[in-house]
Amino acid sequence: MRTRIFNVILLAVVLLQSCDNYLDLRPENGTTREEFWQTKEDVKAAVTGIYLSLLNTPPSESDLTIPEYIFMYGELRGGMVSAAQYTSDDQIDMLTTNILPSNSLTTWRAFYRVINFCNTVIDLGPPVLDLDPTFTQEELNTYLAEALTIRAYMYFTLARTFKDVPLKLEATLSDEDNFQLPTTPQADIFAQVVQDLLDAEAMAVETYESVAENKGKITKNTINTMLTDVYLWQEDYDNALIAADKVITNTNETYELIEASPSWFTSVYARGNTSESIFELQYTTQNLNPFYFMFLLAPQYLAEASVLEDVFGLDFNDPENKDIRGERASMVPGTNEIYKYTGFDENNRKSFAESDTHWFIYRYADLLLMKAEALNELNRGEEALLIIEELREARAAIDLTEEQVTGDNKNGVRQYILAERARELAFEGKRWFDLLRNARKENYAYINLIINVAIQSAPANQQQTIVAKLQDPNSHYLPINEYELYTNKALVQNPFYK
Amino acid sequence: MEKIFKLIKKWKFSIVIVLLATIILCCSEEKYKETTDETLNITEYLRTMPEYSMFVEILDVTGYASFMNTYGTYTLFLPTNDAITNLMADFGVSSISAIPIEELRDIVKLHILEETITTTSFTDGKIASPSMQGQFLITGATYDGGSASITVNKEAKITASNVEVGNGVMHVIDKVLRVADKTLAETIDTDASLSIFAEAIKATGWYDKLDQPVTYDEDSIPSYLTVIAQTDEVFQKAGFNSFDELKARYSHLNDPTNLEDSLNLFVAYRISPGLNYLADLAVTPALLTQAPLEVISVKLAADSLLINEEVFNGVLEKGVEINREPSDETASNGVVHLVKDNYFIKKRLPQPVYFDLGDQPEFRQLSAVFRKPGNYASLSDAELSSMSWEGSPSVTYSCPAIGDGNAAGWHGDLLDVLRLRDGYINNIEFTTPVIIKGQYKVWVSYRTNPRAPSSARAFFNDVPLSRLLNMQEYGDSGTPERVLESQGYKRHIEPFSSRFNSRLMGIINVETTGRHTFRFQSLAYAGGNSWFDVVEFRPVDMDQLYPKFESSGSGLIYD
Repeated sequence: MRTRIFNVILLAVVLLQSCDNYLDLRPENGTTREEFWQTKEDVKAAVTGIYLSLLNTPPSESDLTIPEYIFMYGELRGGMVSAAQYTSDDQIDMLTTNILPSNSLTTWRAFYRVINFCNTVIDLGPPVLDLDPTFTQEELNTYLAEALTIRAYMYFTLARTFKDVPLKLEATLSDEDNFQLPTTPQADIFAQVVQDLLDAEAMAVETYESVAENKGKITKNTINTMLTDVYLWQEDYDNALIAADKVITNTNETYELIEASPSWFTSVYARGNTSESIFELQYTTQNLNPFYFMFLLAPQYLAEASVLEDVFGLDFNDPENKDIRGERASMVPGTNEIYKYTGFDENNRKSFAESDTHWFIYRYADLLLMKAEALNELNRGEEALLIIEELREARAAIDLTEEQVTGDNKNGVRQYILAERARELAFEGKRWFDLLRNARKENYAYINLIINVAIQSAPANQQQTIVAKLQDPNSHYLPINEYELYTNKALVQNPFYK
Repeated sequence: MEKIFKLIKKWKFSIVIVLLATIILCCSEEKYKETTDETLNITEYLRTMPEYSMFVEILDVTGYASFMNTYGTYTLFLPTNDAITNLMADFGVSSISAIPIEELRDIVKLHILEETITTTSFTDGKIASPSMQGQFLITGATYDGGSASITVNKEAKITASNVEVGNGVMHVIDKVLRVADKTLAETIDTDASLSIFAEAIKATGWYDKLDQPVTYDEDSIPSYLTVIAQTDEVFQKAGFNSFDELKARYSHLNDPTNLEDSLNLFVAYRISPGLNYLADLAVTPALLTQAPLEVISVKLAADSLLINEEVFNGVLEKGVEINREPSDETASNGVVHLVKDNYFIKKRLPQPVYFDLGDQPEFRQLSAVFRKPGNYASLSDAELSSMSWEGSPSVTYSCPAIGDGNAAGWHGDLLDVLRLRDGYINNIEFTTPVIIKGQYKVWVSYRTNPRAPSSARAFFNDVPLSRLLNMQEYGDSGTPERVLESQGYKRHIEPFSSRFNSRLMGIINVETTGRHTFRFQSLAYAGGNSWFDVVEFRPVDMDQLYPKFESSGSGLIYD
């Protein structure tokens, strides 16, 4: 009898203990939504996660990082980059406007992943206000502004790259969500982006406590700079000018161009977070950038051979007379290596362990040139020329690249701004977008901007094909990847990719 | 323990039942899929698609249906039903079976390639592998009606591309491709706007050669020809209103069939061996012609193709533009292009070429180094477009400081090759600047180094030159210079430094005007640097000593 009782007790103990874990369906190696989203620290962690997802790919994914995609989307078709030893076939096809929906570079997963992180904060952040009494509305607003702005930037990039894309503004929280989303027209995406940025601007902070935060996190200035960019794409130049001036005249955080000197490259690029920086992705020596491999160890890209001479200008009589943005800043002459992200100063590269050069999303010079573009389109070319002059002065641009145009020559000034942007923003993932934005103005009145780039840089035996293809505006946007078409039946392929 | 056994006994029956149940349930046979792939092959796939029913019918009529269903790697250009309806209208028939079967077979074969080729490998010219009919297809793109399409044989537009099926890939086209059945001669003859050119090919006897079907030589190289024709309008612009005027101007022997007659050469100069579409011309800097040893140069300037546009002695000679629109006209034995202006054989006399080996375009871009005293830079094989070698990673361009003994060469610079020998750097090859055809003496000058190879051979277009180069040999400053010349040496720089030497390597015969290759092969050990200055190609009838080169400068010294 005693043993029986003992046995029953033993059995009960065993059963009760094991059953608890055995029947628990919650993942052992992660946190669930019900456990998270309780305190303001949780919200903060989620926002930090958004930034991190811009810098790196989550360990569970085998994708490229966002800066790598932006580099490819913004540079491969811009005529300033050519293939190197380790360029993949897909990258070469993009270089030669030979893109098929099966091209792996057309996958937009990395962008929608970040968008979902943002949506999660936007959806699940506000209820925390009720759960955590120490969480203030002000803090929540800052976080929401950051999430909204980054989501806006992702959609802005997608719409510039793919034209019409699916717009998802709620978090995807379970498998029951509807994934069969049709595309939203580009103009509507831009409108949504503007709306999000305006909402964010009302909630964002002016500055944070440290320089690194001011340059690495979303502030009102970041948002207004981004707004300037979006307004230019919408051809809404009045608002672009207003947004740009908000940043330029902001007294809480002032920006200025750093004078040309041998240390200019080191401070602006190698170290970053200078007074000419607005928003940079903050790689550190603990969290290295992907660029060391891309440009140096296993180079996938080189500068196009003509860039040094045609873009920055080469003074054969006086080698000391040079634009500080060219030789050993953007690129290495002779080898045409792209130097911006691997160099430390004029003579030395960083080592692999110090490869922490940031990815530059907006710099002050970019904003100034965007303002110049808005001014020019508003028939205020003289003021635009003053901005270009100021920038060229600061960069020690050489006389060879100076263009003799007057303010009333709108197209001349437009070309000059584009040329200056090529020098200033070389290899920062902007070139193709700059060309496209200007080409599509006034209903594609300036499509020759894109065609001329193709004539200069296309392989001789494909030039005619490429030029004919580029006449079709739909060819300026990437196709929807075939995998997306397969999984989402509501999508319709861009008609150019028939 | 006993209790456990008791328990087992008690439950024996139920244990057996459970076991049995498990076994019975398990034993039902699982159905495995026995095929690995369910993708349909071309014919089967087409049978499921009513919009291509007429092409299926053609496949059935010609007996190719089962063939197109076999495994393989094919590319099919698939005409839609509308396209085939138009084809029947062209033939003036109302059913497919009314089209002559042989022609139908040829048409089907023209639509099939025996390789899988996706649109990404299309260029402006021919697809790399021929169709099964034998003729090549050409691709391109057009833009009309607000959208761009890829085209095949200039006329058919691709409406759906890269459709993958089990045995290859298909591209849907909106027009049936037609076999080019006219020869080059017939193509030119039947084109009313080419009447003067047609008369010229008849009078010179080239008509027959352009009328022959394609044959293959022992290396199975086909006898395709490329003709650059010109319209009557172009002839008139050049002042020839009729064939007689053309003949009067050119036929200096009054016998156009004679291969040396200038009119015959005029025609031969427009005919090139090989099937060269415009895309091929765009990547061919120098094209051989049927005029003996004459080449035309082709240059892509922005988006126009220019014939014979070159800079000679610093003077730009304007080229003649190819008229893109009517060009790329396929014939059964070649292709015809048209030009916008008349052109004639460039009669050029041999000109000296002073090839400063350090003057490579990539070194020239290094503006802080190139010809700036006290600087040097190294570049690797892959980075230099006009040089290549075996072995070690890089060669150095060196411009020593002013006053340095090594700076006495022309332009004050040197091309520095460390250890020119087997196992380090050897067989270093240069693409020369353009050299006009003719006979030349070749001089190589260098900075002497006792650790450079004592014996190196030079090759011009893979033909070895007669003399060997001893790079350890110092310059001779005593012997009278004409005596020295007769011994195959000279003092090439002024003022002279005996640290430098120049050696006559031999006489070459440059057969075609263009860029050629020049190579050094070391035959001996070398522990140190070989410093090259200039390679001179001087026409044999020119003074071999003057002009000399300005030491440390860029000038030429004439006396």
